[in-house]
Amino acid sequence: MRRGLPEPLSERIPNLAPMVDVIMVILVFFMLGATLTIVREGALQSELDPRSGPGEGVPVEIIPTVKIALEDAGDGRCNIHVMGRRLEDNSFEGLFALLREKREAGADPTAPVVVAAQPGVRWRWVVKAMDAAVRAGFRNVQFAVHLGE
Amino acid sequence: MRFRPPKPVGMTLNLAPLVDVMMCLIIFFLLASRLVSAQHRPLQLAHARAAPEIERGALGSRAVVNVRPTAAGPAEYVVYVWDGQRIVERSLTPTELAGHLQRRAATAAAGGEDLRCVVRADRDVTYGDVEAALRACGLARITRVVFSVDAGEEREEAP
Repeated sequence: MRRGLPEPLSERIPNLAPMVDVIMVILVFFMLGATLTIVREGALQSELDPRSGPGEGVPVEIIPTVKIALEDAGDGRCNIHVMGRRLEDNSFEGLFALLREKREAGADPTAPVVVAAQPGVRWRWVVKAMDAAVRAGFRNVQFAVHLGE
Repeated sequence: MRFRPPKPVGMTLNLAPLVDVMMCLIIFFLLASRLVSAQHRPLQLAHARAAPEIERGALGSRAVVNVRPTAAGPAEYVVYVWDGQRIVERSLTPTELAGHLQRRAATAAAGGEDLRCVVRADRDVTYGDVEAALRACGLARITRVVFSVDAGEEREEAP
């Protein structure tokens, strides 16, 4: 009787190539899906005045260093006013330049800068105004909130 | 002396370790994409240059409010809550949002923490919509508010 050698290892392994193909496709799908959702998300911080607002029901007057008013111009656009005067070029770069001038002239960076926007103004413009103030060096940007529903 | 030629052996790669690694990657992406969709709704965030990227964990105890535009009418306020088994999405009215934030603030206060509200508003909602969320924060006595913005490539926009 002839004793045969054990079967080579390679013949006992199932063929995994189709499985690898499928897994590769799934992997590529998830990798692409994941990268499409990646957004560099930043954060702008603000403090609401604890003395006032709807929680207390008592409006408190804040005397801001700068008051930026955003007026709804319709059609998704807005007009920029600073301390009651309309900005000449009506741009956020112009607003940034003006705020930087104020900082260089010695304005306190911790003094409140209030952004008062009309309810119909797009959020993107409000963020731009806040961004301009933060870039100019003001650290205390607050929002005027209308009382009531 | 006669030599017998060696018996041909089929050449097969051992793919088992490759499969192991890929399975791990798939499980990772499956779990990660699920977590990402829970916190990051597909919102078009407003762009800001001065906004630093912040690790969510560094914000401490926080309540995330997504302000999402709707086809008609006011925006909806979407929050994610743990119902004991899984994270579920809830669309709230401003009044319900105030109640939700009040409960969250009370839970955080009981744990000795100060709750922070993270507002993730779509760039196309109006200030009035975000104002309602700020008002809800005021009712819940939450003073620290963080606005999530897109810190990536800036698009040219004129007001």
